[in-house]
Amino acid sequence: MEIMEWIRLIVGGALLLCGLSIFLIELYGIFHLDYVLNRMHAAAMGDTLGISFSLVGLMIFSGFNFTTLKMALIVIFLWFASPVSSHMLARLEVTTNENLKEHCKVYSELEELEKELEENRADTEEGGEIV
Amino acid sequence: MQVAENMTMLDKIYHGMYITILILLALMLFACLIRAIKGPRIADRIVAVNMMGTMVMVMIAVLSLLLKEGFLVDICLIYAMVSFLAVVVISKVYMGVYREKEQEGKREQEKMQEEGGTVGGNHGVD
Repeated sequence: MEIMEWIRLIVGGALLLCGLSIFLIELYGIFHLDYVLNRMHAAAMGDTLGISFSLVGLMIFSGFNFTTLKMALIVIFLWFASPVSSHMLARLEVTTNENLKEHCKVYSELEELEKELEENRADTEEGGEIV
Repeated sequence: MQVAENMTMLDKIYHGMYITILILLALMLFACLIRAIKGPRIADRIVAVNMMGTMVMVMIAVLSLLLKEGFLVDICLIYAMVSFLAVVVISKVYMGVYREKEQEGKREQEKMQEEGGTVGGNHGVD
């Protein structure tokens, strides 16, 4: 049984290390990107993928018991909660920022966006390559 | 957790690994705090605080395995719920405050126009 314990250690450690590197990438992204709506993209990655990797690694360490179940519940809860909180933050940013047009393109009418997308699609079908 | 003398090789490795992970996470938490202080807009700060919450959750889970205390994972679950609730409530409240201030500015502008005074652009609320 000694060898099984060592395999568990290696697999769990590798997963935990993956989780930590995801957190590091997240941190790099949050300092590298320069607007909130871009930064949110990096921040949401750690909320789902980073914590999933880390907690799956810890689950493998803890074995088959109630602690494992609770950790799985945390991961599942965050899968539901993270998109909602990202959505709320994006809405907060769009409502309160008066100079939003400096950072990204804003369409006041939905039809404008649909028309532009339609034109782009027609262009790609003609040219055969994405501009 | 005290380092007992009769620990096996495996236990020593686990102990060292948990401590290393805790230290790394603490350093990353500190970097997040810098972002939360620097962030120019309020949404930056909330994003950074949300990230800190996620890292603290991993720290609590690691700590529960290090100390062999199962109840710490319950605290972790509660922490996840509270941090989600905090983000939703703070963004809702801030949006409400902003809208109220905007309406107040508009009302003042209308009053100024009725009085015949010059209109001053008074909606810089941030």
